[in-house]
Amino acid sequence: MSSNVIQLVQTVAGQTGAPQTRAAARLMSWLQDDPARLPEILGATAQLPPETLARCSPALILGITGAPGSGKSTLTDALVTQHRLRHPDQRVGVIAVDPSSPFTGGAVLGDRVRMMRHSTDPMVFVRSLATRGHLGGLTLGVRGILHIMSLLGCRLIIIETVGVGQSEVEIASVADLTAIVFAPGQGDSIQMLKAGLMEIGDLFVVNKADRQGAEELHTQLLNVLKLSMIDDSCGPHHGLGIPAEQIDQKPAPSPELGLMRTAGADRPSPQVFLVSCVEQTGLSELAAGLDDLAGRHGQDWRDRRKRAIAQEVRQAILEAIRQRVENTLGSNGTASGRIQSVLEGRQSVAQMAQELLKQSLET
Amino acid sequence: MTLSSKPARILIGKPGLDGHDRGAKYVSHILRDAGFEVIYTGIRRTPEQIVEAAIQEDVAAIGLSLLSGAHNVLFARVIELLKQKDAGDILVFGGGTIPPDDVEGLKKIGLSAVFTPGTPAKTIIDTLRQLLDQQAAAVK
Repeated sequence: MSSNVIQLVQTVAGQTGAPQTRAAARLMSWLQDDPARLPEILGATAQLPPETLARCSPALILGITGAPGSGKSTLTDALVTQHRLRHPDQRVGVIAVDPSSPFTGGAVLGDRVRMMRHSTDPMVFVRSLATRGHLGGLTLGVRGILHIMSLLGCRLIIIETVGVGQSEVEIASVADLTAIVFAPGQGDSIQMLKAGLMEIGDLFVVNKADRQGAEELHTQLLNVLKLSMIDDSCGPHHGLGIPAEQIDQKPAPSPELGLMRTAGADRPSPQVFLVSCVEQTGLSELAAGLDDLAGRHGQDWRDRRKRAIAQEVRQAILEAIRQRVENTLGSNGTASGRIQSVLEGRQSVAQMAQELLKQSLET
Repeated sequence: MTLSSKPARILIGKPGLDGHDRGAKYVSHILRDAGFEVIYTGIRRTPEQIVEAAIQEDVAAIGLSLLSGAHNVLFARVIELLKQKDAGDILVFGGGTIPPDDVEGLKKIGLSAVFTPGTPAKTIIDTLRQLLDQQAAAVK
């Protein structure tokens, strides 16, 4: 493991100010450019003193997704402000993802522009990322960047996804909670029945409450969510956030009804919040709701994150093996010969695989 | 900044009180089309905000746009802050209504390039690519 990596990790965990920011930013670039380096960084992290590691655990990793124009960045900015007010001693991290052009590979990362007021707050770290061809709403290396933000001591990390719409479900596997943001005018109740995004939301935010149609949208959402599978740990009522099953006093539907949702103690029932970033309404209720959820589910989330990181390392190992065998298959120019051998029945797939594995180890 | 063939990251910002962002948006657009990742930070930023953002984003270069005439003071302030924070390796280039007589002075204080009104897109892109290649080679 390069001593440079160890040094950078130690700087991030141990120093403050510009050197820390620079080291963190550098590591984030490495991890986005080469996500396979995450285990290296994890190894360097494991060498840090326990008391340092103890404060490197976020209370909440919040995913914010929703259609373009729903106000995700503005909401993220407002939530950062709320958190800074409520917890002045806590650091906040933001990862903002925007799409890369499929034609040129370039991108305009324009989420940060809505959060610039926090630029000189040493307790806020914002990182913009381009998807670089990755589908699903995030980008490769997000988990690594999350890790660096944890090392910085960020207690709240918000990940804002690209916002292409219904297929952005990747965020649900990375974040502790996923918030789906809606704005008036984006569609009707049929839209909300569609699979994908609606299924991964742990909470829903109707933004732009100052605009016409916001109240209607709020009601429509509540109605649609009634049909979802709801687990029996209902959240308390916070301001305008009403748990779906309380709408008309009926008992909660049994778990057999409903959409595919991961059951279990770590999935709270969805709340729906109505906010206006422009008029500053509903935001403190939303922030309070998030704090409450983090307080109650934090330990489950930390355990889940550990499992996810282990899974990531597992994938990295398998990928390294795959690469090595693929190089053996392709590099010596007999790839077509080998394939032909299998096609003509002279060797089985299993025999060919065995031969390739053996050869990979010898090179 | 990395040495791989991944897209280079460039931050575009407008320091000071100037609100005319058409030029900054235009440059952001052409850079995007040329394969760069542009972090657009908008108008009315302080040099402190721009520099801090640039460091967090680990950009290879900062592009400053200014049409209000305050370029000598504000561009210099950005360069100074970068040095203070040990980030002097981030390239700085400027554009806007900058009199040709001021260009030499700006380059002396550390700007790598100045693109005055009318500079063709191709010149901007080629110059930046060249500067970034040189920077990468120097790090090696």
